[in-house]
Amino acid sequence: MSGPLRASTAPSPRRQRGFATLLVIVYGIFAISATARASVQIIERFGTAPVAYALSLVAALTYIAATVLLARRGGDSRAALWLCSAELLGVLAVGVLTVLDPALFPDATVWSRFGAGYGYVPLVLPVVAIAYLLRRRRAARPAATPAAGDRL
Amino acid sequence: MRVSILMIAVYAVSALTALLALYYTAKDLAADFVLLGACALVLLVWLLETGALALRDLGGGTVGDPVTLYGYLLTGAVLPIAGIWLGVGERTRWGSAAILAVAVTMLVLQLRLPQIWAGGFA
Repeated sequence: MSGPLRASTAPSPRRQRGFATLLVIVYGIFAISATARASVQIIERFGTAPVAYALSLVAALTYIAATVLLARRGGDSRAALWLCSAELLGVLAVGVLTVLDPALFPDATVWSRFGAGYGYVPLVLPVVAIAYLLRRRRAARPAATPAAGDRL
Repeated sequence: MRVSILMIAVYAVSALTALLALYYTAKDLAADFVLLGACALVLLVWLLETGALALRDLGGGTVGDPVTLYGYLLTGAVLPIAGIWLGVGERTRWGSAAILAVAVTMLVLQLRLPQIWAGGFA
């Protein structure tokens, strides 16, 4: 009786996210700045550059979702891997479009010219995140196999 | 108090906090009361600057883009709180690294403020 009781009342060790903590704060910063930028652009002057402002909103939502996923599930989120891949594609696509067809973007977005206005962090961030998430998955796989074998 | 003095204070405290956080991260140290205190100091100086700018705005200043200005000021108040939160929760070097990211971002925010409202710092 006392065993399970003690186990249930013992303070659960606080979950440590490790490197994902850094990803959480940087994604969080971009979630705030991209959301603020997109909101101001869309509320004040959506008509002047609808494509750019719609993409600003997409970028903002991507950053919010990535922040939440990384904060809640750390490096073990498969959804975060998909999301960061989509984010990288978005940065590359918008970056190429802003270079090839600047007329399509009368005003800048977070992802314009591969995120040059933000020190290219928008380009580096998904690459680092994907590398980290893939490494986590690779590291988890061999550890999981002997554990599964033990149970048999 | 003159806003320009507070601006210099934000630069100085943020830069020192960034250097301190870099040291903690490199030395594999979790955030302690020194680093968390430095982050809290960034928040305090930023809030003082926010108050001084708001007073100047209320006292007849003309802000060209008030939404952006107050958006930046609010963001700058939220970030150190997030940094302290992560620094307290994450007891590894990565909690210190989160504070490093916050301190560097505070420098960028401060860099942008006079561009948004030059009159506020005149």
